[in-house]
Amino acid sequence: MTMDATLSGHLQELRRGTVVVASLTVLREPGYGYSLLETLSAAGFEVEANTLYPLLRRLESQGLLTSSWNTDEARPRKFYRTTEQGDAIAAALRGEWMRLDKAIGDLDTPDSGPGGDAADGTRDHTPGGTSSGSE
Amino acid sequence: MTTLIDRYVFTVLRRVPEQQRTDIERELRTSIDDAVDARVGGGEAREAAVEAALLELGDPDRLADGYAGRPQYLIGPIFYPLWKRLLTTLLSIVLPAVVTIAVVIRVLQDATFGDVIGTVVGTTLTVGAHMVFWVTLTFALLDRAGVEKADLRRRAWTPDDLPRYEPGFLTPAQLWATVLWPVLMIAALVLQQFAFTEEPVLDPANWSFWWPYLIVVLILEGLYGVWVFRRGAWSHTVTAVNALLAVLFTAPVVWLAATEQFFNPEWIAGVDWGTQDPLRWLTGITITIAVAGAIYDIAEVAVRAERARRGLATPVPGTGREFTAPLS
Repeated sequence: MTMDATLSGHLQELRRGTVVVASLTVLREPGYGYSLLETLSAAGFEVEANTLYPLLRRLESQGLLTSSWNTDEARPRKFYRTTEQGDAIAAALRGEWMRLDKAIGDLDTPDSGPGGDAADGTRDHTPGGTSSGSE
Repeated sequence: MTTLIDRYVFTVLRRVPEQQRTDIERELRTSIDDAVDARVGGGEAREAAVEAALLELGDPDRLADGYAGRPQYLIGPIFYPLWKRLLTTLLSIVLPAVVTIAVVIRVLQDATFGDVIGTVVGTTLTVGAHMVFWVTLTFALLDRAGVEKADLRRRAWTPDDLPRYEPGFLTPAQLWATVLWPVLMIAALVLQQFAFTEEPVLDPANWSFWWPYLIVVLILEGLYGVWVFRRGAWSHTVTAVNALLAVLFTAPVVWLAATEQFFNPEWIAGVDWGTQDPLRWLTGITITIAVAGAIYDIAEVAVRAERARRGLATPVPGTGREFTAPLS
């Protein structure tokens, strides 16, 4: 596996869950598949349509989104909207994101961290090349 | 012609649970149209916009996997078509070939008629069971190991990979079958003179004209397959050419068999089927197979050509959808 492939694999892993948070957050205002795709990529999320469209259906089946067909316009569209439960989960996920962001920031600049962890010398520096590249 | 979008949507729907198809199809078509419109609005030509939009959506199999969710089956949707096709080929072509070879060997060992029937039944069951078991086991293991179709194909999907779904086209596999069949027949015809048996099975006297003639007709059958493949459409011309070739091949075979000039008398003399007369049986079998094969072949091509000509709706396998060919 080349370095580029390794990096893109890990980036993909890292971004995977963010689409869920972003979608649940954006869809507090009702939206349809393509509009959400546009909104997310304008906001800087690298999400592919073939990930997003199945994801919306999965979130719906988990009860985090509801959907309804809007046939008022010439082109009927399936509009999704975040449910109460979805909103609660999105809030929890955003909280986790903040926590991780802080934690990673702390690791990156060990001096500012409370533990003084550079002293014990047992930190595990396993390189990231052993990913099994799932899916 | 099916549009690229049709081909894409059909390809996705093939691998999506039936009860979700209608909803997914509606939503997917809307999403594709939205993406195309956005690109057209940005100044792209419509055709290029469609292609780019589909390319962005990516491999339809992956999309369908996303819609279908986690696998809960022995052979997953990734391998099921391949598994089914392989088993169909093995059971419909390779198994009969193996059984035929086993029977020929038994006949050459002067087996009785009962022995031959026993060999047919025994070989069919044993070899058939082995084929089904090992193929299924292999695919189930591949599926569990998380191997993807793209791993086997070794390249990314492009819109051109979409099947055409039009009834007029021979698939590459069908082309192979059409070409391979004459080649095998010619090989068998030539080899039976030298190999297989001490005395040639077919009458060597016919090498003066009829056997070379049949070889020429078989070569024409192969060329016919290539011609139909490149033509890409069925018509009455195809029906006529196919029927002509079938008659050119079948009529001499039936005539030779009926006048007892088909099999080598010296080989027949060495065959002992107890109370059964081998020449009578073999003549009957030969004529039946030749005539039935020819009629089936002629009818099948004629029906396909007529359906294509009338522009009748043809089911697209595995989608529950129909494709209507254009009148041409």
